[in-house]
Amino acid sequence: MDLDQDPAIAAFRAQARAWLREQVPDPPLPAVNTEEGFAAHRRWERKLAQAGLAVVSWPEKYGGRDATLGQWLAFEEEYYRSGGPVRVGQNGLFLLASTLFSHGTPAQLDRILPPMATGDQVWAQAWSEPGAGSDLAAITSTARRAAGGWLLNGQKTWSSRAAFADRAFGLFRSDSEAERHEGLTYLMFDLRAPGVTVRPIRQLDGDPGFAEIFLDDVFVPDEDVIGMPGAGWRVAMSTASHERGLSLRSPGRFLASAERLVGLWQRQGSNAASERVADAWIAARAYQLHTFGTVAALEAGGTLGAESSLGKVFWSDLDVRLCETALDLLGPQAELDGQWTASYLFALAGPIYAGTNEIQRSVIAERLLGMPR
Amino acid sequence: MELTPEQQALRDAVADLVRRHPPDPEAGTAAGREFWRLLAGIGAAGLALPERYGGAGAGPVETAVVAEQLGRVLAPSPLLGSAVLTAQAILATGDTDACQRLLPAIGSGAAVAALAWTGKDGGWDPAAAGCHAAPRAGGGWTLTGTAHYVLDGDTADILIVAAQMPDGGIGLFEVAPDQPGVEREASPSVDQSRRLAVVRLAAAARRPLGPAGAQAAAGGTSGRTALARARDLACLALAAEQVGAAARVLELTVDYTKARVQFGRPIASFQAVQHRLAESYALVTSARSLAYRAATASAEDMPLLSRAAKAHCGEVLAKVAAEAIQLHGAIGITWEHAAHRYFKRAHGSGQLFGPPARHLAEIADLVI
Repeated sequence: MDLDQDPAIAAFRAQARAWLREQVPDPPLPAVNTEEGFAAHRRWERKLAQAGLAVVSWPEKYGGRDATLGQWLAFEEEYYRSGGPVRVGQNGLFLLASTLFSHGTPAQLDRILPPMATGDQVWAQAWSEPGAGSDLAAITSTARRAAGGWLLNGQKTWSSRAAFADRAFGLFRSDSEAERHEGLTYLMFDLRAPGVTVRPIRQLDGDPGFAEIFLDDVFVPDEDVIGMPGAGWRVAMSTASHERGLSLRSPGRFLASAERLVGLWQRQGSNAASERVADAWIAARAYQLHTFGTVAALEAGGTLGAESSLGKVFWSDLDVRLCETALDLLGPQAELDGQWTASYLFALAGPIYAGTNEIQRSVIAERLLGMPR
Repeated sequence: MELTPEQQALRDAVADLVRRHPPDPEAGTAAGREFWRLLAGIGAAGLALPERYGGAGAGPVETAVVAEQLGRVLAPSPLLGSAVLTAQAILATGDTDACQRLLPAIGSGAAVAALAWTGKDGGWDPAAAGCHAAPRAGGGWTLTGTAHYVLDGDTADILIVAAQMPDGGIGLFEVAPDQPGVEREASPSVDQSRRLAVVRLAAAARRPLGPAGAQAAAGGTSGRTALARARDLACLALAAEQVGAAARVLELTVDYTKARVQFGRPIASFQAVQHRLAESYALVTSARSLAYRAATASAEDMPLLSRAAKAHCGEVLAKVAAEAIQLHGAIGITWEHAAHRYFKRAHGSGQLFGPPARHLAEIADLVI
């Protein structure tokens, strides 16, 4: 499948490339998980939105341009190739929005999507708890009925972007009597509401990329429940593997890394590790082609189920391997701080977040291979 | 390999010191110096130096015993750079005057010494150096150039410089660290518990190092031999340090998986986790065997075995530390848990004293 055989894709690609070449900041923005960097990335989102490039696959009335999945893939390839800034709004743009498109009310879509698209409202995810990581259904934070809404109590952790974001979404136990996958409700809440305490957590690169969230009788109105109360698990799972979600991680990101790796290898001018460079490049291409196949199946009306676990294991391992190969090429210089080192430290989180690769492999074994639990 | 009762006592003494004065991996130079004085107080700094220079006359095994304990807690210390690499390079020059003047202070921990040697390529080749020596009109030598990855290079009291001689050989020189023309700058390294520096020189050498009567003709093969010897011993100490770090981070991981409950049971009960930790344990065991076997090697075998140990132990630490991060889950990618420090130590120390690929190629040349 060659994306550019479709003239609409080729034209859109050319347009995006030209805009990005002009606009991508050089030098790069300050690190996203700092106060200054977060604000700069927010401004960048607004700029993307003004150019109609923030959410290309969304309907026009929410700030998108109704792009096809193929056009979206082409845009992503160009975005990463251009070295564009990290998408500070990604939790909202790629996770919450998918959930809202499937389960949100028209009023929720109208209210939440436009400010998300412009970066005026940046979302954090609030899935994990101290006792509920891989075992997400072990959630103990509660949502209790109150007049006109719900009161949230408990603790969330590893909440990406929560240190500086505006709002968050996650699952809460609304019925303590129900079986553990039942009685969960999907809610959105304001990170600056009374009763919310955010404690930033430094990641291994030293910046607070995630945070703990403590909730003490935090009021959430009924309009911020997604789907039916008690149906939160099914709502969350039906979009966990959504085509624009984390599970369909844009191949453009890894292709761009692979191209940078090849560039590094060429500049080093030796044959060291040439097989590994070639191998990493092949893997990035394989992931791209695999994704094209998935997109074709989705456009033909298919759905993405447990197959999304295959992609997650593949891209997260690939990301680590790309960085390791680059650092080996750099040799002793890799002891010093640098761009590849920063990428490596970031890549290490890939096999852990969005469901550890151990969990993903169990899903593959059980649901794709039919092996017993 | 069984340690002798004396070696066990040394191990326990260092372990006890570390327990009573836990070193802070992010501590500055002053705090690091204080810890080093305590270590020197139990004889750790002068262990492998001859008694005539104030040392204990012990060997590479004793150094390995200390390095393994320090590696367990990622103690920032000048053991590797000062007490092993630089002190052994000075000793190997056969310059008795320099040995008498410099080694007692290094061995007592009163002074920290640094060896400015490799260039930006970080090859640590005994036949190459980042600086050049040129004879001065009226006698003496001028050194120019830049040395990289200099352990403790920005704070050392004693500075030894390896330089390329006009005849193509390698000479070692003593340089006053604070004189004009000596510029020292800390390098921001991934591993914050190991100080690296860049040393730029356009300065007169205080004196060349070499056997008595031969100082004026410094260079030729003597510097090269001294560097090769010092590198072998430093590789042995580094390998032992890597074994200690790998063993400790594995212990932390095993403990964590036993304590962490998901799906109603400790995650240590899942085979996917058990097999990975069993594999890590096998790696640590083989690494320790190789590190200690190499430390007892004959002079003939040492160049081969020291590099084999360093390459293998570095690879083992990298694997075990990466497993530790993954098996700790999200807490493993935070600054709040120690796992990332072990990972960064693995990352930084894997390249120290020469890239593993080069060591493997040299080993291949020697054994195939």
